[in-house]
Amino acid sequence: MSVASSAGSVSPLAQFWREFRRNKVAVVALVVVALIVFVAIFAPLIVPQDPYDLKSLVLRDARRPPGYVGRDGMLHLLGTDSQGRDLLSAIVYGLRISLQMGLMAGAIAFAIGAVVGCSAAYVGGRIEALVMRIVDIQLSFPAILLAFVVAAILGQGKEQLILALVFAQYAYFVRTAHGAAAAERQKDYVQAALSVPMGGWFVITRHILPNALPPLIVVATVQVASAISLEATLSFLGVGLPATEPSLGMLIANGFQYLMSGRYWIAIYPGVALIILIMGINLVGDQIRDQLNPRLRK
Amino acid sequence: MTDLLEVRDLRTWFHTDRGIVKSVDGISFSLKRGEVMGLVGESGSGKSITGFSLIGLIDRPGRIEQGSSIRFGGRELVGLDERELRGIRGKDISMVFQDPMMTLNPVVRIIDQIGMAIRAHEAASDAEVRRRAVEALARVRIVDPEQKVDQYPHEFSGGMRQRVAIAIALLHRPRLVIADEPTTALDVSVQAEILKVVKALVAEMGTSLIWISHDLATVSSIADRITVMRRGQIVEAGPVRTVLDAPAHPYTQALLDALPSRSKPGELLASGATEAAGQLDPSMLRVAAIGAPADPGFVTARGVDKLFQRTAGNLRRLAMRLGLAGAPPQVHAVKSASLTIARGEILGLVGESGSGKSTLGRILCGITPPTAGTVLVGGEPVMKGERKHGTRVQMIFQDPFASLDPRRTIFQSVAEGPVAHGLCTRAEARPYVERWLRAVAFDPALANRYPHQFSGGQRQRIAIARALAMQPEMLVCDEPVASLDVSIQAQVINLLMELRRHLNLTLLFISHDLSVVHHLCDRVVVMRHGEFVETGTAARIFHAPEQPYTRMLLEAIPRLES
Repeated sequence: MSVASSAGSVSPLAQFWREFRRNKVAVVALVVVALIVFVAIFAPLIVPQDPYDLKSLVLRDARRPPGYVGRDGMLHLLGTDSQGRDLLSAIVYGLRISLQMGLMAGAIAFAIGAVVGCSAAYVGGRIEALVMRIVDIQLSFPAILLAFVVAAILGQGKEQLILALVFAQYAYFVRTAHGAAAAERQKDYVQAALSVPMGGWFVITRHILPNALPPLIVVATVQVASAISLEATLSFLGVGLPATEPSLGMLIANGFQYLMSGRYWIAIYPGVALIILIMGINLVGDQIRDQLNPRLRK
Repeated sequence: MTDLLEVRDLRTWFHTDRGIVKSVDGISFSLKRGEVMGLVGESGSGKSITGFSLIGLIDRPGRIEQGSSIRFGGRELVGLDERELRGIRGKDISMVFQDPMMTLNPVVRIIDQIGMAIRAHEAASDAEVRRRAVEALARVRIVDPEQKVDQYPHEFSGGMRQRVAIAIALLHRPRLVIADEPTTALDVSVQAEILKVVKALVAEMGTSLIWISHDLATVSSIADRITVMRRGQIVEAGPVRTVLDAPAHPYTQALLDALPSRSKPGELLASGATEAAGQLDPSMLRVAAIGAPADPGFVTARGVDKLFQRTAGNLRRLAMRLGLAGAPPQVHAVKSASLTIARGEILGLVGESGSGKSTLGRILCGITPPTAGTVLVGGEPVMKGERKHGTRVQMIFQDPFASLDPRRTIFQSVAEGPVAHGLCTRAEARPYVERWLRAVAFDPALANRYPHQFSGGQRQRIAIARALAMQPEMLVCDEPVASLDVSIQAQVINLLMELRRHLNLTLLFISHDLSVVHHLCDRVVVMRHGEFVETGTAARIFHAPEQPYTRMLLEAIPRLES
């Protein structure tokens, strides 16, 4: 009974936010994620020490516990790592790199998946069958295995790692986009556009894609989180980023050897940061999914 | 004798985020034993919610408000807890729903569904369940019930499923049956049979019946009394003949006037909605068809054939050769159909579901390629290869809620075609679109809104404006009024008639509703199983049908005049 009412008409986005606000856990998660993103963007202005500036490192301050005050009077809130780096600064910079990797890989995979999935659903026939079988084959391998192989072949480096992550994840986006687009393809408004007749590319980009977006957004939030953890895993295993650009995974790997010697903080705190980030993104994603899925609506 | 059901000041409100929606707002009525009451109203009138309220099937955020009273056989139903209600549901009061495809569980055999319904209220042995299930199916005139009882719902047609649903509703010989639009999803011929069966059963068992429907004609053929609802309230109630012959409330009068069967073919229908929407403004409109010479063969389809068949894959072909699999199933939707439509003519295409009428419409519009045959419009083919060629034919779809992209504004939806085909430039699009929106009496100031903000009638007018903005010479209308309320339906029919007159449009009007076709069309084609049964002028088909199938369809139309 949505009759055109001029007064009090709420925009869809505002309505979405109003519903989102009701889940307190999701709101907290959103605040945490926003805070992390903010800190990561403005890292150089916030952290006490530039962890890449070797001049500022004091080797004698290495492996100090949380709360240690350094020789230059600096407070190491979370302690220092094996090279005397302030761990808090290292974690913030690590978050910055991890987020970068996750978002870049997620965005590229999203774009590829949306275009390929929607086009396949629109075109149909043999091309659709071919594309979707390739995707199915890829989905039958664990993502970590694919990413590991590609990363190992391409070698270390930011671009190479992003490529590896995209390769491991784009199939999820294609599957999701294809499923949503295939449903939209049958609907009358697409048939109406075809009866005009409108061109294929127009129908895909203006009609099918916007309507297939909600499930893709949900997958995107989950996949960004999983790209971050994937990157951490690869870096931990040594095939990810070079030592000059330490992500969270590498910090954990570096601290790993000290875990048994009582210097837990070097590995644990980067791990905690990683968990908070991934949990935050996932909780926000869960709430978005619940809101976009009418079946789960109360 | 006291009344079986006494409803006093029933209020069912939904407490949503955006405020209280008073779906049912203070209605009172009573029902005697064995009486049949028709509950009539347009969508949103609260008639279904009334039905659900009676058996306590109101979910949050809805609730029956304080002070409401439903007395059934002397017992107060409002305030009973779920367990007590369950003891009544299906036993004393049962319900038949609209869509028989949805109400039967597709993975449970008919006998088990009936068994569950029996055992919900009493213990019964397997043998007894079988005996009673067979008896129940026989009661609703299902042929060969001993065999049918072991089948699954998908082996039944829509009409048979609805019979099963009715059989289940009558299992415990309830004192009251509530039927919510039980024949709306069915073809007219099936509807007529169901009406006959229900009428006989209700009389035989002495059950009271509340028949909820939007269709006055169906209701008048079964009910003793009619109650008309509007916006959650009862506007009129009384014996059928009184309400139909001398309606006291202007709303009832308007509902009756909007029925095509009540006015002379070709005349504008009385419609408050049309008046509210304002006058059609055909000035300033340029369409190629205006002033075009008469052409009796403007649309010519020759030997059009459509076979839906999936091509067998390699694996299947191998299996077929080994005799392990048959050929993929095929549907012959249209069988060598040939027709001509003169310029400016309205041709009605009539048939029941599955007759192939929609497929033929899509072939004529150029969306679906035919398997064989040619379609010429104005001497040119409508398709080139697999793609549509030209913009002379445009289409209007059945469901205006589905045919407009929910994520594009009205302006974007109407403008995209003309801009893409050079009928106007991007810069001129705004005034161009506004002109066509005004032409269908739609306020152009609302063009930046999204479809969900409009009612069904408004949306269908937008869809018509979108088709017209392509300056077509022919419109294919696929059941354009089937999903609309009668008053809105009258408005859209009026609009189509006016447009034909002013713009010299040629129309193919596809419909299952014979009274609408009779009112609107010049000539009629009756289709069945992909073949043409009968063709002729509307007057001839409706007054002197030659084929028995046509005659049967006509007899099945429920009529107000009994």
